[in-house]
Amino acid sequence: MFTDDSPIFQQLADRVAEDILNGTYPEDTGVPSTNEYASFYGISPITAAKGMNVLVEQGLLYKKRGIGMFVAPGAPAQLRSERRAAFRDQHVAPLLREAALLGIDPQELAQMINQKESS
Amino acid sequence: MTHALDIQQVTRSFGRTAAVDNVSFQVPENSIVGLLGRNGAGKTTLMSMLAGQDRPDTGTVTVLGDKVFERANTLSGISYVRDNQRYPDNYMLHHVLRIAPAFKPNWSRELADELVDGFRIPAKTKITKMSRGQLSSVAIVLSLASRAPITLLDEPYLGLDVTGRALFHRVLLDDYQTHPRTIVLSTHLIEESAALLDRVVIMDKGRIVVDDETENARDGAFVASGQTDAVGRLLVNHRILETHTVGALASVTAAGTLDDTLRQSARVAGVQLARASLQELVSAYGVNESTSETKEKVRA
Amino acid sequence: MSTVVSTTKLHLNKREATFAVPLYITAMVAVISVLISLLFLRAGSVPGSAEWIESSRMNPGMIYALSGFLVYLGVQSVATTFPFALTLGSTRRSFAAGTLVWNVIMSAYLAVVFAVMLMLELATNHWFAGFYIFDIIVLGAGDLRLLIPIVFLSTLLLLTVGGVFGASWVRYGANGPVVLGVGIGIVIILALIVLIPQLPSMLASFELWWLAIAAVVAILASSLGTWTLLRSATVR
Repeated sequence: MFTDDSPIFQQLADRVAEDILNGTYPEDTGVPSTNEYASFYGISPITAAKGMNVLVEQGLLYKKRGIGMFVAPGAPAQLRSERRAAFRDQHVAPLLREAALLGIDPQELAQMINQKESS
Repeated sequence: MTHALDIQQVTRSFGRTAAVDNVSFQVPENSIVGLLGRNGAGKTTLMSMLAGQDRPDTGTVTVLGDKVFERANTLSGISYVRDNQRYPDNYMLHHVLRIAPAFKPNWSRELADELVDGFRIPAKTKITKMSRGQLSSVAIVLSLASRAPITLLDEPYLGLDVTGRALFHRVLLDDYQTHPRTIVLSTHLIEESAALLDRVVIMDKGRIVVDDETENARDGAFVASGQTDAVGRLLVNHRILETHTVGALASVTAAGTLDDTLRQSARVAGVQLARASLQELVSAYGVNESTSETKEKVRA
Repeated sequence: MSTVVSTTKLHLNKREATFAVPLYITAMVAVISVLISLLFLRAGSVPGSAEWIESSRMNPGMIYALSGFLVYLGVQSVATTFPFALTLGSTRRSFAAGTLVWNVIMSAYLAVVFAVMLMLELATNHWFAGFYIFDIIVLGAGDLRLLIPIVFLSTLLLLTVGGVFGASWVRYGANGPVVLGVGIGIVIILALIVLIPQLPSMLASFELWWLAIAAVVAILASSLGTWTLLRSATVR
């Protein structure tokens, strides 16, 4: 379920962040507990807690003592702006590099993107 | 931080061979630790001493802040079933289930019943006639239902089928969360248990070669693969742990951390880099120094 | 301390081997004794005659048949139970003590069973047919004051001797029992070499209680031996 490329706690944090971004967990609703994640993914509860803490430290989740963890107000917006900032570096640049290697000019590339969207 | 287990400069020899050779390490309370390494690396000897079933020649073993050998109080808080555990003549499952609570103050009958049911352990088979997987199942019942503050699991997976292994993982995690304890698990099925482990202790030839949090340990090595000479040039300043070659290609496990400089030079040299998996790490540390002429091939 | 009791419970855990098997064996020997009596009958011996009573009471089968089982029980109570007791969390000291307590319970149990059977045998005028099963010479010839200590001490002796052989196996592997057996043999022969000139006069003044003292000494030596061997044993 997890890959070897990055630490498991980071991959868990990424996955929960993804679910916050896509609206699975709206603002001010609870996310599954550390123990539930540990059992579900078969990982150590300490690792799961570490992953959730990454999100707490980023201000994406907040803790309600004795109840659980909740999605912070503004968390989806915060994630969206962070990932938009990284989008060009992480996704557009490699795309352009690969396109250049294959001799696809920017106009043709734009055409392909438009086709994809309309289909 | 309280140490549940504290081993200081422990040596234990059988005849002339030191099964455990001047070993020191600590295990923090309520964590899951993997004790990994090849057969004969000293894992079982170390566990025997932690369980008070054996005594070090030199050095000290402290469990829950107390000595362990011949200490009834400490022993009641430890669960350790050997991978080749012997049972009294003619024992069947119900004998084990009936006597365990007399020794284990936290024994959970519900948990024992759940596991017996899940593993489908036969009630009317003598333990001496059980298959390897059934023996492992009995050992797991005894280990987990004891809910001992210190739980030592020696090769718990031997012979278990895939359903049994999944059940073991699930019950271990669930029960660990409701009844936290310190778990030391030795296994060769590393990939299967890697995600459970907070820490790893890797042994080779009676010594400890790695003792760290799992993620940190994995940061301590990486795998580089590509053209043999390119890999060799890239890793000229690294300690090489293990080498595989096929034709002109090499895949090399090396000690060290992946940093941006290294990634940059690897990209230029056309060498692929990846974090070592726990299994690659353990395998690499178990390779004999003497069979490392392939390393020279990479160096040349 | 509490693991002494737990270890005793561990030995008592196998209820059938502990309580029922000695009864089965006793019952089988009783059947054989009856068959032998019938053999006498067919050979022309008259039930109730002095010759009948004397030859019936000479039959020591009861002791032999139980002895083998009790030694086995003693051996396995250490050889295969000790590793499991350590796994459950017993100390070596508690195990040795708990095993001795169990030996005493077993011996008392058999002494009571035999006492009851002897009383029944005497009350029924030897099972209404002149069968001498418990009223035999080696068990004190019908005297409860002899039968109880004889059964108790010999059971305890057989179990503890079995135990020390089991412990020698746990400690030294297959060589252990061999070395221990040869060692005991040598000690007995050496003792005979020293004592043989005085032996006739000693035998002349022999008293039955000497045997009881010898048994107690052997029981204590075996139990201490078991503990000493187990203290340094490595479980594999």
